Amino acid sequence: MADTALPMNIGAEDHARLRRRKRRRTELARHAALALITFVMVAPFYYVFLASLKNATEIFSYPPKLVPFPPYFGNYEKLLWDTGFLRWMFNSLFVAGSVTTLKIFLDSMAGYALAKIEMTGKRVIFMAMLILLMVPIGALIVPLWSLVSGLGLIDSYWALILPPLANPLGAILMRQFILGLPKDLESAARLDGLSELGIYWRIVLPLIKPGLVVLAVIIFTDQFMSFIWPLIATTSDDLQVLTVGVAALRAHGGANYGIWSASAVMSLIPVGVFFFVLQRQFLARSLAGALKQ
Amino acid sequence: MSNAEQRLAPAIELIEVGKSYGKVHVLAGINLTIGAGEFIALLGPSGCGKSTLLKLIAGLEELSDGEIYVGGRLANYLKPSDRDVAMVFQNYALYPHMTVRENLGFPLKMSGIPRDTVRQKVESAASLLQLGAQLDRYPDELSGGQRQRVALGRAIVREPLAFLMDEPLSNLDALLRVEMRTELIRLHKRVGRTTIYVTHDQVEAMTMASRIVLMHKGVIQQVGTPAEVYATPANTFVATFVGSPPMNLFAGRIESQGAARLFRGPFDLALDRLAPPSLADGAATIGIRPEQVRLVGAGEVGAMPARVELIERVGPDSFVLTQVAAGANVIARIDAARPIREGDRVFVLLPPAQLRLFDAEGNRVPTEGS
Repeated sequence: MADTALPMNIGAEDHARLRRRKRRRTELARHAALALITFVMVAPFYYVFLASLKNATEIFSYPPKLVPFPPYFGNYEKLLWDTGFLRWMFNSLFVAGSVTTLKIFLDSMAGYALAKIEMTGKRVIFMAMLILLMVPIGALIVPLWSLVSGLGLIDSYWALILPPLANPLGAILMRQFILGLPKDLESAARLDGLSELGIYWRIVLPLIKPGLVVLAVIIFTDQFMSFIWPLIATTSDDLQVLTVGVAALRAHGGANYGIWSASAVMSLIPVGVFFFVLQRQFLARSLAGALKQ
Repeated sequence: MSNAEQRLAPAIELIEVGKSYGKVHVLAGINLTIGAGEFIALLGPSGCGKSTLLKLIAGLEELSDGEIYVGGRLANYLKPSDRDVAMVFQNYALYPHMTVRENLGFPLKMSGIPRDTVRQKVESAASLLQLGAQLDRYPDELSGGQRQRVALGRAIVREPLAFLMDEPLSNLDALLRVEMRTELIRLHKRVGRTTIYVTHDQVEAMTMASRIVLMHKGVIQQVGTPAEVYATPANTFVATFVGSPPMNLFAGRIESQGAARLFRGPFDLALDRLAPPSLADGAATIGIRPEQVRLVGAGEVGAMPARVELIERVGPDSFVLTQVAAGANVIARIDAARPIREGDRVFVLLPPAQLRLFDAEGNRVPTEGS
């Protein structure tokens, strides 16, 4: 881009200096804009985190303390020892973890079958799965409850784990990943004596690890934050998941912004850790489709 | 079949092999016998069915018709791993998550061979292919030539009855392709296994194969040695596909004038012994290779006046495009040192002994001495 704003009657060194200054100003403006956007996005989280470390009086003090000192841990103590938070957290982690583990295998096997195995009606099955994706969850709640209740599974871990396994999104995602694998790899594996299951286990599964990471993050986050179905499918306190428990806390515990803030912070930790550990894989594979190999 | 009979049987035999996808016939009536130790090239343009034929032999595609025998055994219903063949793919098909050592050893491991034996065979193959220093690397850390050698190594360790190679050099640059071609020829001489090599590159086929199988639209056009296929092409397709530049072809008609047979086309030629008495008058094509066309002096009998339209200088030779009549061009190959320029008036002689005659369907008419 030509520096048309720069005066013409100056030496090369001055020209370079002026160009550098202009570049620095542009960089500064860009960073300032990014800082503002970051502030707008991070500020609410920071405010909640601050509130979790303040007592009831300090939360509403004006001007607000941006660094609470000394920090008040009473909200966390009450949350952990006076409520069922730990049990809710365990339930959410157990259900989300179980569903994620089971779906990784079920969806990758289903995706492999859809991508690589010739069978009558494959196209019909795939189209049916795509159509099912468009059905909103709200329309499925009543028939699903009826089915699970008929099986005698309401108010059990099975009620929380089994229904999400039927979501076709994972299988469709895995199919796309597996379709991207070269057909010659499969042919080479057949010549080497591998059965269909052997090809899936020894060749396909290791190669779609990045895809499995994407699937795991999506499923885990979705299951961890699930609310409507756990609310309906469970009635006893022992089986309450985090989202339902925290909502109940707000409904029945009276206005306690400190404890609510602490519960919000604690709820974010597992998902944050999970994503932080897998983020490099997740972002790389999310962008992989946009890059020419 | 007894062991003795199996030992005497051809390495691979195809009887009326056909393949269809629904109503689309990709291969039809393929009959071919390949002896032990032969290097066969399946040559043809893209889409002619040569890769499909290779996959049928390997068992990676299902036969629609016919029978395939491998080592004397009917292979139609055998799994790919039970056919005693090993394949080298165009894209190498190396397992990206395994090291070179693991890639080489994988087929042996799957066969249940003891670990020590696997290690020995892997090291032997690595030594043969100069891969010793790369054994602990992954495929994406290798160059194209190294990956190709690993793909070859994975086939060699299995010590199969036959190697099936599907355009293994097509992904390499020109220089590396020439190097690897030489290496493959040396390897074949050393290992001595039957090899079926698919290629669309006639230079590869002509330099590497003991016999060439030319295919077009799913049908075998000709089977012969490189010399046979070049000198006596079975039809006009073979004549134009093999040879660069291709054979000069001229369409016309055969007419009888008393006892004499004449070719009347863009120019007239006396056919003499070229057209047998059994060949009726009618549409025909004559052909001649560029290196057999002679640019001669004015007084030579049978020479036709022509004008030099274009000269392609390719090192020691030059290809001269001449126009002998309206719409009739003849390409001649001459020594590059010969003084000739575009626009020059020359005389073109087509020696009758070098002419090839093709009938109305494009099939070569066998004649004495051709």
